[in-house]
Amino acid sequence: MIDLLYAELKRTWIQFIRYPTEVISGIVIIMAVFYGLFASAQYMAGPGFAFGDRLDAVVLGYALWTLIISVNNDIAINLQIEAETGTLEQVFLSPFGAPRVFLARAFASLALRLVILMVVLLLLMGISGSRLAFPPTLLLPLASLLLAGYGLAFLMGAAALVFKRVQQILGIFQFLLLFLLAAPLEEATGPMQYLRFLLPMLPSTGLLRDLMARGLSLDWFTYTLALLNGLVYFALGMLVFRWAEATAKQRGSLSGY
Amino acid sequence: MQLARCPTDDWTNHSSPGSIVLDTRDLSKVYGRGKQRFEAVKQVCLTLHPGEVLAFLGPNGAGKTTTIKMIAGLVRPTQGRVAVMGEDPHRQPRALRHIGAVLEGNRNLYWRLTPAENLDYFGVLRQVPRQLAHRRGLELLARFGLEEKRNTPVQKLSRGMQQKVAIAVALIHNPRLLLLDEPTLGLDVEAGEMVKALVRQIAQEGRAILLTTHQLDVAEELADRVAIIRRGRIIAEQSTESLLKEFSGSTYHLEVDGELSPQQIHTVTQLGATVQGTQLTYAGTPEKLYALLGALSPVPLVSVQRDRADLTQVFLKLVKD
Ligand SMILES: Nc1ncnc2c1ncn2[C@@H]1O[C@H](COP(=O)(O)OP(=O)(O)OP(=O)(O)O)[C@@H](O)[C@H]1O
Ligand SMILES: [Mg+2]
Repeated sequence: MIDLLYAELKRTWIQFIRYPTEVISGIVIIMAVFYGLFASAQYMAGPGFAFGDRLDAVVLGYALWTLIISVNNDIAINLQIEAETGTLEQVFLSPFGAPRVFLARAFASLALRLVILMVVLLLLMGISGSRLAFPPTLLLPLASLLLAGYGLAFLMGAAALVFKRVQQILGIFQFLLLFLLAAPLEEATGPMQYLRFLLPMLPSTGLLRDLMARGLSLDWFTYTLALLNGLVYFALGMLVFRWAEATAKQRGSLSGY
Repeated sequence: MQLARCPTDDWTNHSSPGSIVLDTRDLSKVYGRGKQRFEAVKQVCLTLHPGEVLAFLGPNGAGKTTTIKMIAGLVRPTQGRVAVMGEDPHRQPRALRHIGAVLEGNRNLYWRLTPAENLDYFGVLRQVPRQLAHRRGLELLARFGLEEKRNTPVQKLSRGMQQKVAIAVALIHNPRLLLLDEPTLGLDVEAGEMVKALVRQIAQEGRAILLTTHQLDVAEELADRVAIIRRGRIIAEQSTESLLKEFSGSTYHLEVDGELSPQQIHTVTQLGATVQGTQLTYAGTPEKLYALLGALSPVPLVSVQRDRADLTQVFLKLVKD
């Protein structure tokens, strides 16, 4: 398993440095969109308007959104690309079994994405003048966030295996996510206060904002719920992915018939 | 439920079960449901022994690729079972350690990686320890004459080389069974010859090879046995030699160097031959052939030839009716 992880890291890294333009242009687009949003918000609100604390929360929300989108789409998009290029069936020939291979891949691409996220965050802080804190405890809600994120990624991967063309679903999904992640629902009152624990990733993003933007310390009770949320979504994703694999083999559609 | 229809192989009786690499029983596949329902493969039984090459032939859409993918665990059979070294790839993922496959099409590799990187990666993916995979990869590259290209991204290689790399990758985990779906498709003559030579070598190492092809000369040259599938059903399966013999006529063509005397012509006509100048045609028993040859003495012989069907004729005959 360690060998597999290493091999996936190496493959991801080689493909990245051999063709870095794709990733770099991705970062540039992310930055441009953010800058556009930021500038137009300031323009509309007038010069006297200050984001204040909110700014930090929004920057973080946006950066998390870009991470989560890439995590979420990761498996589905790669499945689709590999089905088209013809390597997918070779991957399914692994005695490790597809779920383990894709998990190793998820870890490998995560490593790369976290590096990219740091770059994006630093650049965003430069553009917007936001000052975020990075206490070590943030790794905990980050972990629960990623668990749920990869749960959704496996769900999307399952959709890609069964339905093949998932670009549209992914697109719609991205904007749902933007809404969910950028809105600070942890400040909500009423039923949403409790419902947010059922939605994927929301408890974790709330905690991250507490830690990084509001200067609060980690609330262990909330974190337990966030971790539970992550574990449940992850398990769900794996389960549905296995089902999708069986279905694709049944239909003979692994390679995209 | 349908009863098993596979013949009990004579082979299995006098060889231990351990010497069977591949065994499929009543393998069937139905795609779709209702109106879309389509029986792509019907009760296919195949057995392969170490070192054996089986050519799997059939017209387009006959069910060859579907069968190969069922053997590789990529398509789930509707009925029947697969055993590779006694293990079922649909139930035990471990069984995949025995299987190497180059599937239809030319993209079994990561095009952005070099041959060496592909070998390293797929070695680990097939559960070979990293160091060992690397060492074996280097050996395979050397053996396949790819050393010079080991650091060129696969997408920059010629089609023939890509196919060689794909075969090397399929061998990285030292599998007992190699599945090749149209391995010479789209290759030029030279590359085709190269792949054929490799297939022969690989079989000599004791691996069992199942290959599909539409190039019947390739099958005739490589295969110990052929199985012909038509509309999902196997319609012939026997050794290449006996299949060709069965379809070969018992007509002989003889050519002599020089005129036959009227006496000789009379004798050979009595024996049942027809004479046209220096050419004779004879369709009698092999024993009487010697009497015929005797009657021709002392005129020098140029050639004696028995009609021999080639696989193409056999194939067309079988597939037509
Ligand atoms: N996933 C699928 N869903 C539905 N039908 C399928 C599927 N895969 C194959 N078929 C059908 O099953 C039949 C057998 O296909 P298969 O690919 O096994 O043929 P083949 O013998 O490999 O043909 P070729 O020589 O053209 O490669 C064809 O009629 C094909 O249309
Ligand atoms: Mg085919």
